[in-house]
Amino acid sequence: MRGAHLAVEGITHRYRRAGQPAVCDISFEVNPGEALALVGRSGCGKSTLLHIMAGLVPPTQGTVRIDGLSVVEPSPRWVVMFQQPSLYPWMSVAQNVALGLKFTGRKREIATRVPEMLRLVELSDYADRNVQDLSGGQQQRVALARSLASSPEVLMLDEPFSALDAFTRGTLQRDVRRIAKDLGITLVLVTHDLAEAVVMADRALVLATNPGRISKVVPIDLENRDDLRTPEYAEARARLAAAYETAAGRELESSGTGGPSATPDDDGLNAARPAAR
Amino acid sequence: MSTDLVADAFMEGEVSAQRRAGQWKALRSLGYAVAGMALLLVAWWIGGLLVENDPALVAFADFAPEPALARLVEMIASGEAWAMTVPSLGRVMEGLALAVAIGVPVGIAIGRVPVMREITNIPFQFLRMISPLSWMPIAVMAFATWDGAIVFLIMIAAVWPVLFSTAAGLKRVDPAWFRVARNLGARPWHMLFTIILPAISQDILTGIRLALGVAWIVLVPAEYLGVTSGLGYAINDARDTLEYDRLAATVVIIGVIGFVLDFACQQAISRLSWHRDD
Ligand SMILES: Nc1ncnc2c1ncn2[C@@H]1O[C@H](COP(=O)(O)OP(=O)(O)O)[C@@H](O)[C@H]1O
Ligand SMILES: [Mg+2]
Repeated sequence: MRGAHLAVEGITHRYRRAGQPAVCDISFEVNPGEALALVGRSGCGKSTLLHIMAGLVPPTQGTVRIDGLSVVEPSPRWVVMFQQPSLYPWMSVAQNVALGLKFTGRKREIATRVPEMLRLVELSDYADRNVQDLSGGQQQRVALARSLASSPEVLMLDEPFSALDAFTRGTLQRDVRRIAKDLGITLVLVTHDLAEAVVMADRALVLATNPGRISKVVPIDLENRDDLRTPEYAEARARLAAAYETAAGRELESSGTGGPSATPDDDGLNAARPAAR
Repeated sequence: MSTDLVADAFMEGEVSAQRRAGQWKALRSLGYAVAGMALLLVAWWIGGLLVENDPALVAFADFAPEPALARLVEMIASGEAWAMTVPSLGRVMEGLALAVAIGVPVGIAIGRVPVMREITNIPFQFLRMISPLSWMPIAVMAFATWDGAIVFLIMIAAVWPVLFSTAAGLKRVDPAWFRVARNLGARPWHMLFTIILPAISQDILTGIRLALGVAWIVLVPAEYLGVTSGLGYAINDARDTLEYDRLAATVVIIGVIGFVLDFACQQAISRLSWHRDD
């Protein structure tokens, strides 16, 4: 398994009946195996951009290329994980994990691949359980195993841990990064949680709001991501926070409404969700 | 470790207490059911007494529980009860199968395609309100056999609950389930058989249960038509031959079988459901 190269070229997207585009002229690249975070305030178009990158939403303008191939529809080669695990409650854990293989006609691999994935997310003992018996964090692990079973080259995450408690979230952040690095998968993470971006990403794109544009690129080169009390972590986090403030401030100047708010992300694309945190 | 054991013991105690509470509840509701049936029997018996003591109605005295139940036992022993039930069950099952074969696909199309919903909404609400029995003359003309006409009437009555229940169930399905499936590479047939049908199985079964109730009600008047078999025919025949004990016994058979069918449906629903009701 090897990560793919990802190129976003001049993406602009305007929702029907919306005046301003949700995202405007966004271009960047992600290297194979790299972990990239898209950060920005709620409503700045992070989810929109990720959905476009995954082929779930066709953009108004621009193209997304994965290993040179233009993305026009979703594919098991680039999978998205959402805030809600959305497991199928009429299936066992193992059946959920096997779905991607079943859909893509790789049924012969199910017997080996599913136990392997469950081992990866440390849920081997739960294969035959009904998913409704699992905790939120365990369900998100199953969703991760399900996403990884068909050996994707890119894993995209849309605030996947924001409904979880702080401890579970921390563990999953580290585990997902480790798994992606071990497998060499390219990781794209959408978040409004700066700590999450610092823990998980090699690089962060900070987006400004109204319209969503790239405001700054912040490299995050941390040796040790397990200990959050190092000066390197504090420094990286401060740099990201400064870029985040700048992006928010620029928006303040241009729109003149509201202050830098701490309201939780209200995400137009994730329709059903419990209160985050 | 020891606290774990204590906790386990506590849990076990808790579980068995819950089980005892559950058993007690089941026993109590059985008691209520028996009491309710006894009340019904008493009402029937009082009705019988009133009829017997009214000179104008005395000819109908065989409606009372004693003659009717005696006749019922006789009918069961002779196989007559079974013989009149089988054709009726056959017609209901045929009509219901057709209703499901039409109602489920159309319901899915309506639930999945908004334009279909908009177009069909008013005509279907309109057609649904027409008593199935008002189609009788048309059915009789359109079908070569009486059996065909009866099955058609049952189908017309049963199709609406199945159709509406399927469509409503699909509308309630979490859109994220479709999005995730698409992302995992689901083709349309995967979507149908792996996601949609299991997701709405309970709604479909609930629709079938409602449909069965309606079909069973429509069956008897439909069997007043032409045919010479079945429960509806038996009622008509008993009236013509003035055997009111046989008529009352047939009514009891209709009620019991309807109840059993509904109970079986209910069991199937709770057996197949993936919904957690706690
Ligand atoms: N389906 C939609 N239709 C119309 N506007 C939308 C839709 N989804 C999101 N938007 C709008 O697009 C902007 C960006 O939304 P989104 O991508 O969800 O931002 P983020 O994920 O960063 O919070 C917001 O102003 C939002 O209101
Ligand atoms: Mg979002």
